[in-house]
Amino acid sequence: MTRADWTLLILTLVLLPTLYVGLWGDRGAGESVEIWIPGQKPQVLSLDRNQTVEVQGSLGTSVIEIRDHKARFIASPCTGKVCIHAGWQQHAGELAACLPNKVAIEILGRDRRYDSINF
Amino acid sequence: MTRSTLRPAALGLALVLLLLAGCSREPTLYDRKFLAFGTLVEVSVYGGQRKQVEAAIDAVESQFRYMQKTWNPWHPGALARVDSLLGTTDWFSVAPSVRPLIVRATELSKASGGLFDPAVGQLIKLWGFNQDARPDVPPPDPKAIADLTAQNPRMTDIQFDGIRVRSRNPAVYLDFGGFAKGYGIDRTIDFLKSQGIHNAIINAGGDLRAIGRHGDRPWRIGIRNPRGEGMIASVDVQGDESVFTSGDYERFFIYKGVRYHHIIDPRTGYPTRDTTSATVIGTDGATCDATATAMMVAGPKDWYRVAKAMGAHYVMLMGNDGTVYMNPAMAKRIHFETKKPPKVVLSPPL
Repeated sequence: MTRADWTLLILTLVLLPTLYVGLWGDRGAGESVEIWIPGQKPQVLSLDRNQTVEVQGSLGTSVIEIRDHKARFIASPCTGKVCIHAGWQQHAGELAACLPNKVAIEILGRDRRYDSINF
Repeated sequence: MTRSTLRPAALGLALVLLLLAGCSREPTLYDRKFLAFGTLVEVSVYGGQRKQVEAAIDAVESQFRYMQKTWNPWHPGALARVDSLLGTTDWFSVAPSVRPLIVRATELSKASGGLFDPAVGQLIKLWGFNQDARPDVPPPDPKAIADLTAQNPRMTDIQFDGIRVRSRNPAVYLDFGGFAKGYGIDRTIDFLKSQGIHNAIINAGGDLRAIGRHGDRPWRIGIRNPRGEGMIASVDVQGDESVFTSGDYERFFIYKGVRYHHIIDPRTGYPTRDTTSATVIGTDGATCDATATAMMVAGPKDWYRVAKAMGAHYVMLMGNDGTVYMNPAMAKRIHFETKKPPKVVLSPPL
């Protein structure tokens, strides 16, 4: 086998599985979380890095936790705490919102598992 | 491998890679969020020319802002003016922006046997659910609730004479709540269609209407678990369908271990009991919202009669014990997403 043969073989072995996983793998998996506050540029954070983020909404500080490729509200200055009860969001298209504080989080990915959420 | 066999192999590999890469190209999904009606509104449009789609979404956003202002019963605007004049019991000319909403709500209230009745605005206010952030205070005085309920405000108290209306009952105060949101979704979906947009979803605070499809597949809708994380179920919708849910978890407070939420039973003056959520799939959003609200009030024992009377075809109700009640046609469409499916009780066909 020539050097070109080897190059072709290696390219095939590397690229085909990569493209297969990339294009036909779990396309609904979340890749990042978008933190949305009206009138501000959305903040997009990777779900690969565990961290806790504080953002300022219209009432006060909302705290968002990112852990194990999921994101959730863990504190917010609202009374109902609907945002916290929504729990972990992990699939592309899932979202939770603290309406009184005007802060929302949405999981982003290449293909949404759900196009829209009814609640 | 010789040079003569290498060239076709390289071409073959390039072709495979191109085909794979081609699979990842999809038409654009345009998506925008904004706040209106005290909730998050999300407009999603599949395909189309960017300039045209962005202009249409701009207009939808403007229309939502207008409707929010016009149909807010608790801030100066067209509906607040109507409400103050209904209290006089005299005839007056109703604003054209409000009249169709009153007419449709009256029709649906009659169909529901009065279980959906937006005339109970004063009760909503008494409970404090007219505010975006209800103060942390106990439930209202039972006597005040009983007095207001005894006045029996009903949509059927409203009389029409052309553009003039009056209420026979001074206790009538219209708060359309989620119904206005549903009516607004219907109007803006009609607008998108008029602009040549035929594949879209408008979702306002979790209630949505979807038209067309997401490319070569239907739209996939997740129905959030009202008592847990994630989704309880998913459903595919296409063509032109609304998915509306009323629940006890959207606006509520807990006092001495009891949950009090924003859907008031017009017969008792208290928040409905026994039901966690009611989901309706149908064509127009306003009808779905009214049906879901009436089913919340009817509860697990009476929901079937109400759903049938309101002409619903796909309904699901979750009781406080986690039991899911639905009609067979809904059961065929719903796919449960929970690890352990809930206990399901099927009704006769609707």
